[in-house]
Amino acid sequence: MTVVGTTPPPRLPVRDRTTAHQRAGGGVSPMLTRLAEERATGVLDREHGTLHLVEGRVVHAESPLAPGLGMLLTLHGTLDAETWQDAEGSADEGRLLRHGVTPGALELAQASALYDAAYFALAPSSTPGRFRYGTAHWLASVHPVPVAALERETLRRRALLRRIWPDPATDAAPLIRADPVAAPAVPPRQAAVLARVDGVRRAADIARELGRPAFHTLVHLRRLAAAGLVSPQPPPAAEDHPPDDAAADPYVALLKRVRDALEAL
Amino acid sequence: MPGIDECLLETMRLPGARGAALVDWTSGLALGTVGDPPGGDHETAAAEAAELARLAAEQHAFGPGEGADAGDPPVEDVILSNRDSYHVLRFVPTTFDSSVFLYLWLARADGNLALARIRLGEMAERLVLG
Repeated sequence: MTVVGTTPPPRLPVRDRTTAHQRAGGGVSPMLTRLAEERATGVLDREHGTLHLVEGRVVHAESPLAPGLGMLLTLHGTLDAETWQDAEGSADEGRLLRHGVTPGALELAQASALYDAAYFALAPSSTPGRFRYGTAHWLASVHPVPVAALERETLRRRALLRRIWPDPATDAAPLIRADPVAAPAVPPRQAAVLARVDGVRRAADIARELGRPAFHTLVHLRRLAAAGLVSPQPPPAAEDHPPDDAAADPYVALLKRVRDALEAL
Repeated sequence: MPGIDECLLETMRLPGARGAALVDWTSGLALGTVGDPPGGDHETAAAEAAELARLAAEQHAFGPGEGADAGDPPVEDVILSNRDSYHVLRFVPTTFDSSVFLYLWLARADGNLALARIRLGEMAERLVLG
């Protein structure tokens, strides 16, 4: 009897998510990982924001979706708007420190603003990023952050939001208040966000008005959505349909929210 | 006191200090860490401490009584003890909108909880007020 040795069939390719993740440098931005490796200095423009690098570390970040350092400092009176404009105009960090902002407060606010804007700047984008080599940002020495730490934190933040409430709709859409029958008590910092939900404002608008990091506002809104107090404004097309009686029933509304959450998992 | 790292290094001079961090309790981000991490990892420890701080800061029952200035947050510190250590969380008041606390991990055998609590309060104030 002849035994024909057959070679085992080749293994089907299986996407190994963990290694793919590591290869892509955390899977946030391969370009940024490369810039960190070559210790580049300059400005990385991405679809939703800008990262300033000095010798491969991120020293500053800006995003139209996040209030900047100036807004954080001036809105609550830590600094007057004129002093901020002078400091920014002359790119002089010393002016901030001479006008009552302590080094500790400046570092705290700058670090907070940096991680905040970077979260949006590193969001998945539909257009490629562009890097311009150049000089250091004027706030470069306040709180530089290694790229790997920033990417890890950005991924952790995405996971945190998903864990609170998996539906990302409240992050970007105009928001409406949903008044459930038995509303749970709302903690003060969330209540400040809830008070500004009016059917027009989006998360970014509320963050700017409160002078609060935009990611914090996203966290508060996801918690409010999970509690059934806030929901995204439905798209206008829905208005063409006759009003749905079922939508008014709190139990149907609850079931819909559970369904949406399960679908989003 | 110049900045976050200097403040944390100062914290580590307390007798029995094992590790310290400055943590944002809304996002769970560690803005700075020194010494050993409780549980083996600074980032995880920060995120877990942030969850505890948030619960303490958001519950109405833990705030001061009627008439007193509530403050933001209404809680000054959170102290947790286990068989061999203390965890002390001290909220840092700032003049801008933030949600940060100083987090000290203290060995129970060498640490002085009363002293640590007082010094953390002083350092939280000096970090932002100079």
